Amino acid sequence: MKEISLRVNGEERSAEIHEEMRLLDLLRDALHLTGTKEGCGEGECGACTVIMEGKTVNSCMVMAFQAEGKEIITIEGMATKDKLHPIQRAFLEKGAVQCGFCIPGMVLSAKVLLDENPIPTRDEIREGISGNLCRCTGYNKIVDAIETAAGYLNTGGDSNA
Amino acid sequence: MKKRGIGIGCGFYGTGYGNGFPDVSRARAKLETDGKIGIYVGATEVGQGAKTVLQQIAAEAMGVSIEDIKFYCESTENTPDAGTAAASRQTYNTGNAIKKACEALKEGLIYIAIDKLLLNSAVGIRVENKKVYLESYPQSAISFEDIAKALTEPLCFEESFTAGTTKMEEESGQGAPYWPYTFSVYGVEVEVDTQTGFVEVLKAVCAQDVGRAINPQLLEGQIDGGFSMALGYALMEDLRLTNGEIRNNRFSSYIIPTALDMPEVKKIIVEDPEVTGPYGAKGVGEPVMVAAAPAILNAIYNAVGVRMREIPVTPDRLLEALMEKE
Ligand code: FES
Ligand code: FES
Repeated sequence: MKEISLRVNGEERSAEIHEEMRLLDLLRDALHLTGTKEGCGEGECGACTVIMEGKTVNSCMVMAFQAEGKEIITIEGMATKDKLHPIQRAFLEKGAVQCGFCIPGMVLSAKVLLDENPIPTRDEIREGISGNLCRCTGYNKIVDAIETAAGYLNTGGDSNA
Repeated sequence: MKKRGIGIGCGFYGTGYGNGFPDVSRARAKLETDGKIGIYVGATEVGQGAKTVLQQIAAEAMGVSIEDIKFYCESTENTPDAGTAAASRQTYNTGNAIKKACEALKEGLIYIAIDKLLLNSAVGIRVENKKVYLESYPQSAISFEDIAKALTEPLCFEESFTAGTTKMEEESGQGAPYWPYTFSVYGVEVEVDTQTGFVEVLKAVCAQDVGRAINPQLLEGQIDGGFSMALGYALMEDLRLTNGEIRNNRFSSYIIPTALDMPEVKKIIVEDPEVTGPYGAKGVGEPVMVAAAPAILNAIYNAVGVRMREIPVTPDRLLEALMEKE
């Protein structure tokens, strides 16, 4: 057992971890951030995607101790108390969510994609979410949503404007 | 060399449990104490949109907006059984049960209004915008909320709907095993790499008969989803069942399409109302998948002249077939 501290969704957190604990377990079991999902547990599906130091990682493939002192964003860090993140709003508006299991990972992959490339083409969007499997939607409405979100973010992030 | 081809596939699909099996959905409609409409139904939302579509049907039947529907589903503690979220049956079957329950509730509201408004008949009474009124004299009106306040016991109606099918005759195979049927056509363009055997689907178009489109956005989502499942089925997904054991039991060997594999799908929603459906609607969950794999295999034939008779058409299988052809 070892105590580590890290920043999660802008807050200093600390947790007891053991050697073989994955970042996924740290987030879900120790910090109770259950928005991050476990699909395959072997780096294939992207359901466990979180953002670490500005890059997406599969949290099932990162050991908890590797997150020491790192900045992590999970799906819980996207919306504020009374306002969805523009990417989340676009997902709802475009009908991009079916069962929802892949969606936390999709939204976070979309965030990193749009942080790095604010005006992506549809092909670049497909590339950006190609590590996230979705069984339900056939991806097209997710691509629509990310295109729409790019528009919201480029106009100050407010779709109600 | 890369070769392109186009292909078409058509299909029809009987929704519901079929074969005379009792395909029953139950639903309850209740006037809540605040004048809103409570719908209690065991239907399960798994992402297909049942909650949305069933609330739309209830709102339409009661002449209220969707915000005035209080929807309770799934919990067996307070909802009647609406059957499984399977067989593409919730919109049609449970939608019908909800519509019937709402119609019964409407009638119940009318009889209370006759009493409260001292009317002499149900003729010309309308139920709309959360009130009951006489069309020829709209001043004679009572709101759902006022009716709710005056009630001494809850106003609640439960109805059920059973799809009409027959068991097939054992000897002849004759009968009417399903109702309703849903029809669809897919067209695709593929590009086959004759060096690697890799098939890419470049674009697709789907014309899907839906009876009545209750929620076009959700229907489009079903079409995209069905196409991507069929794309995997046609080209990638193989359980490798050996002696009852699934060999490809992880995503590293059981390959499903990613966003890069999926083409844009043009959707043509065909509305031909089904008389027995709620406002003419039919289910599409499974039907949207049926015709896509045949379309893809036909396009492969059109591109390289080989008839693939086994799926998935993985690169190794296609290469083998191409070699045999030469
Ligand atoms: S659970 Fe981590 S990639 Fe699937
Ligand atoms: S919405 Fe179900 S897996 Fe993506």
